Amino acid sequence: MSRAPCRLAALGQVSALGRVRAEVHARLAAGDATHLSLDAEIVPERSLWLGRVNEALPAIPAPLARFACRNNRLALAALESIGAEVAAAVARFGPARVGVVLGTSTSGVGDAEAAIAHRERTGVLAHEFFYDQLEFGGLARFVAEAIGARGPAYTLSTACSSGARALASARSLVAMGACDAVVSGAADSLCGLTTNGFAGLGALSAGVTNPCSANRDGLTLGEAAALFLVTGEPGGIQLLGVGDSSEAHHMSAPDPEGRGAETAMRDALADAGLAPDDVAYLNLHGTGTPQNDVMEAAAVARVLGSDVPTSSTKPLVGHTLGAAGALEAAFCWLVLAERRGGELVLPPHVWDGARDPALAPIRLVEKGESARSGGRAVVMTNSFGFGGNNCTLVLGASDSP
Amino acid sequence: MKASLLRWAAWAPGIELPDAWRSWAAAPAPLPATGAPDAKFLPAMLRRRCTPLTRTMLSAAFGCAEPDELARLRTVFASRHGSINESIGLLLNVVRREKLSPATFSHTVHNAQAGLFSIAAGNRAASSSLAGQEDTWTAAFLEALVFLERDPREPVLVVVGDVPLADTFAPLVDEAAVPYAFAAQVGAAGTGPGVSLELGAADPARARAPWPPALEFLRWWLSDEESLEQPNRASTARWLRA
Repeated sequence: MSRAPCRLAALGQVSALGRVRAEVHARLAAGDATHLSLDAEIVPERSLWLGRVNEALPAIPAPLARFACRNNRLALAALESIGAEVAAAVARFGPARVGVVLGTSTSGVGDAEAAIAHRERTGVLAHEFFYDQLEFGGLARFVAEAIGARGPAYTLSTACSSGARALASARSLVAMGACDAVVSGAADSLCGLTTNGFAGLGALSAGVTNPCSANRDGLTLGEAAALFLVTGEPGGIQLLGVGDSSEAHHMSAPDPEGRGAETAMRDALADAGLAPDDVAYLNLHGTGTPQNDVMEAAAVARVLGSDVPTSSTKPLVGHTLGAAGALEAAFCWLVLAERRGGELVLPPHVWDGARDPALAPIRLVEKGESARSGGRAVVMTNSFGFGGNNCTLVLGASDSP
Repeated sequence: MKASLLRWAAWAPGIELPDAWRSWAAAPAPLPATGAPDAKFLPAMLRRRCTPLTRTMLSAAFGCAEPDELARLRTVFASRHGSINESIGLLLNVVRREKLSPATFSHTVHNAQAGLFSIAAGNRAASSSLAGQEDTWTAAFLEALVFLERDPREPVLVVVGDVPLADTFAPLVDEAAVPYAFAAQVGAAGTGPGVSLELGAADPARARAPWPPALEFLRWWLSDEESLEQPNRASTARWLRA
């Protein structure tokens, strides 16, 4: 049984690599890791490399001021790039037929820190503080109001798989007829809560994250937004498959054997009706923690073998947590969108090159490497979340439109 | 959008068993503002790590499925506020430049209830966690339909719940702030008692029930009323027996 089409019709994104499509693709293809920045302020007595978005972000429009927070400004920056396509979809299908499903792990909690600090000093919250700014559901509602959509609008938060899961839900909402189009993806913002929380867990790298290396010592955090216009049309770049699972293992560590990761990858391929040999590239979850990379490599080797090119793009942008699944789907989308004559330019795996003998053998993309695809190009992306929530997506494009 | 409601369970202080809910639905009254279940079904080690919200939502979840189903069904966990009360303490740590407790941090993610459920029930199936402001119950039902669209062969265990917001943020939110959870097994249309959901135009004049939307849905489900209309932020949810 083949699924109904699910077109990722337009993409807007912003991360440490920027937001201009050609620029981001070039930096991705070059493995340009120079856009991380060093921060000596956010975690006491520590310097951290962060994938911060340094460019100016759009202001929240005055009528939506109760949603003002950095997280929503990141979402708005991504949304601006697809404003015309989204407006056309709302006009074509009608506001009630356009939904919004987004992922985040932070929502506006970074701005809540300022409100709490104000309360510490004065005894009252800053009076310009609204609950719409803070609550998780506020992200989807903000985007719905910004685009004038009145269909279902909700926010998924399954930690680092949130963004991937949002795209999976958008696909089903269109397929079941609840919506004709969905704006879907994720936004996540750097804040004191997550940086200090991961610092407390001992999960942060002393330098820059170094996935799959024998010397890897943890995460580099980042922030991003990636928003897609999802429709039920054929052609273009399609979301071909979704696979997901839970770990039943531990709140903050994966099953060392990677069984949940394996299930997610196998189910995504089965859902797409594809074989491991069809996959031209896998974007790894690749966080650079000792636990993730060993279990992920084992799962990848079992499902895809040792020849499929893989890379983690987290050394370029950091781990953008709730946005990572959508941002890395966006990078896969760019790889497909920028293919020329059946040739895919792959994002290289940027690391120190020190192979870890404890990792199952997987093929890591070298700088300048590309893959040939036949008539159809298929790529895959993994997202594995805190709390044991895994989601794998398969994207594809055909050369004959 | 049609589905089946195969089984339900709910928890509020003093209203725990189905008969108690039937009595409440026959003569609904505002619910108690405080209380949390003891959740004795959880192993002591795990129970100690559970916040009041986790104990509340897991009590409804475990009351809504047999042990083999608990280990097998896909799940949707929905909460408007999630772990925000616990996050306030962490935010104070951040503002005061204090170290954060790793255990507290890892149990205040929005999918903490789903993660602890997965561990407690040994459930490795797909799971989603969401928030949708005042529309959280409607969103939870839609997310169950998402899983059914992907595979209709097994029902989905939907769990929605909240506890009252702490004083820091409570004045910012106008809602029926009570501790509660509602769980339902939602299956494909034709597999059990039918329910349908349609989203219509918003009606700003429509009043909200003086208890959470999921419990208003339960009150209606247990009544002999034909339909229920619930106000959402940008739509009206219209429920029908199908």
